[in-house]
Amino acid sequence: MKRLLVLVVALAALGLLLAGCGGEEKAEGKVLKIGTMSPLTGPYAADGNDIRQGAEIAVEVFTEAGGIEGFTKIEVFPQDTACDPKQAVAAANKLINEKVTGVVGAYCSSSTIPASETLAEENIIMLTPASTSPKVTERGLPYMFRTCGRDDHQAPAAVKFMKDVEGVKTIFIVDDKTTYSQGLAEGVAAAAVAAGIEVLEHDHVNQGDKDYSAVLTKVKSANPDLLYISLQNSATGALMVIQAKRLGITAILMGQDAVYHPKLMEIAKGDSEGMFCTFGAIDKDAPKYKEFQTKYKEKTGNEPGAYSAYSFDSATAYLMAVKAAGTTDPVKVREELMKLDFTGASKQVKYQENGDSGSNYTVYMIKDGQFVPYWNSLTGEKY
Amino acid sequence: MDLDFFLQQLINGITLGGLYALIALGYTMVYGIIQLINFAHGEFFAAGGYMGVILISYLASQGLHPYVCLGISLVLAMGYCALLAMAVERLAYKPLRQASRLAALLSALGMSIFLQNGLMLTQGVYDKAYPTEITSGGFQLGTISVSYMQIFIVGLTAALLVGLNLLVFKTRIGRAMRATSQDKIMSALVGINSNRIIAITFAVGAALAAAAGIMVGLYYGSVNYSMGFVPGIKAFAAAVLGGIGNITGALVGGLIIGMVEIFAAGYISGEYKDVFAFIILIGVLYFKPTGIMGENVDDTRV
Repeated sequence: MKRLLVLVVALAALGLLLAGCGGEEKAEGKVLKIGTMSPLTGPYAADGNDIRQGAEIAVEVFTEAGGIEGFTKIEVFPQDTACDPKQAVAAANKLINEKVTGVVGAYCSSSTIPASETLAEENIIMLTPASTSPKVTERGLPYMFRTCGRDDHQAPAAVKFMKDVEGVKTIFIVDDKTTYSQGLAEGVAAAAVAAGIEVLEHDHVNQGDKDYSAVLTKVKSANPDLLYISLQNSATGALMVIQAKRLGITAILMGQDAVYHPKLMEIAKGDSEGMFCTFGAIDKDAPKYKEFQTKYKEKTGNEPGAYSAYSFDSATAYLMAVKAAGTTDPVKVREELMKLDFTGASKQVKYQENGDSGSNYTVYMIKDGQFVPYWNSLTGEKY
Repeated sequence: MDLDFFLQQLINGITLGGLYALIALGYTMVYGIIQLINFAHGEFFAAGGYMGVILISYLASQGLHPYVCLGISLVLAMGYCALLAMAVERLAYKPLRQASRLAALLSALGMSIFLQNGLMLTQGVYDKAYPTEITSGGFQLGTISVSYMQIFIVGLTAALLVGLNLLVFKTRIGRAMRATSQDKIMSALVGINSNRIIAITFAVGAALAAAAGIMVGLYYGSVNYSMGFVPGIKAFAAAVLGGIGNITGALVGGLIIGMVEIFAAGYISGEYKDVFAFIILIGVLYFKPTGIMGENVDDTRV
């Protein structure tokens, strides 16, 4: 009896597998396939799912608006990179096998860079909504685009804010040793020294740590004017903020774009009040953003995450370019992408020759559980 | 650096060590009784943390006093994890009791992945936050900060430890546990239902892990589906360090790992804390393979 059961289950599983293969064959034809790459599991899953949903909503909006002539359907293939270079390359290969023509992603720069090289071999267009490392667009890949800002713009903006607005003289920097967080933290350290701010210490913690009491006790005894938190994840950022407040640290707290997420306030609550974060300026009162926000809430039940709007705009840009080109041929789509100049949910999207779309870092302050724009790095003025 | 700095780090270290010790107790008890390293133990800890946040949030929304919510949730979550552990034992370990140890170990690893993904799928990938009315608060001694949560963690750890000792050394169940861990066949011959005793051991270990899970949630403010993995490994190291199979050893091992971590992070750098914790472990295994408090566990006795 038991054996029979096992046999039935095994056959059923096999059947499913075969059915899966069969379905794929049928899907061929005039379907526009785009992929997303982001960490859907692991510690960065929050940002990763925001990216996936942003792209899916872009497709939905586009389809509702009539889709693209010549294509019966637009399909999204989400892939999990887990913020791991090896898995990102595997994901890229999977998308190549699915015959996608454009990819939105990835999240961690350390995944985006190797994945983009795999995709480049097949001339697939990649638009990253979240990777801020300068290297992403400095390698001269023709089909690599970036909708968010760059670290080498973010670090000086943060330091300028510390010096000009807050009059900070000493800082303590903590990062968690990822390509992104450490690179940015080093950028901040260098810019701070150049600006005459003393870096008391630049310490590191491990990814996924929950206990920061030891390093925060060090911060407390060093007594800096400002604690710069460069972690890869908003949830761990929230833990650091809670523990800092509990230890009685009075320094100004400042984070960066990976810490910037509504989940930060949800976890840290009152402890995060008055904290600063740098993030690209997104005008949340703009009609385009409002429209996107409504749609996002409707579909996911959540507020858009930090990178949702960038992801939405990346996917939209790609779909607009395909529509204008009338084909998925990468050369023609790239031409159309370069011509684009549209108001997205996140910002005015206009790609430059190297694939960047410019940085517009703004300092946000957490006030009453909301990120409130506080200081504009481009104009140097408070809002 | 000065004395205040040292004392503050000492308090941090004791708190963290106490948490590791509570998780390590489960590893040590299960190993003591069936010589199995239960890799799914960290997941009981995570499940306890989640159960805690769900119950506390629910009870708090019913208008109960935060500390009453905490007490009820603690008991219920410990009970829930005890049942979960008994189910896991029945499904994943009992059928393999006569099989090779490797099979049971792989089953444990599989269970760990299964439970972790189960948590992720049912509870979502986002962190869940504990209500702050309970988690905040504390006082200053000079420049040293002590939070109520730290006192609560140390106090509850001590209380649970005393309770566990009473259970193991003063009750009939405890006597049966000790007898089963010495010789399953002989103890069965004198009328001990060893299957039941093993299930109880799993349940007690998981209940302690659940308590640790809630305390971690309260102390750090949030829980996450993958939170069981790293503390699980650390607690395993603590159990081995103290002498796996030995209850006092788990406490000593937990405190040592917690202290080493905090002091390495405090005096050297945060990136080195895990390195030092595991250097100590490797050193102990090299020079005293049985662990600090351990006796020789005879492999042939199983």
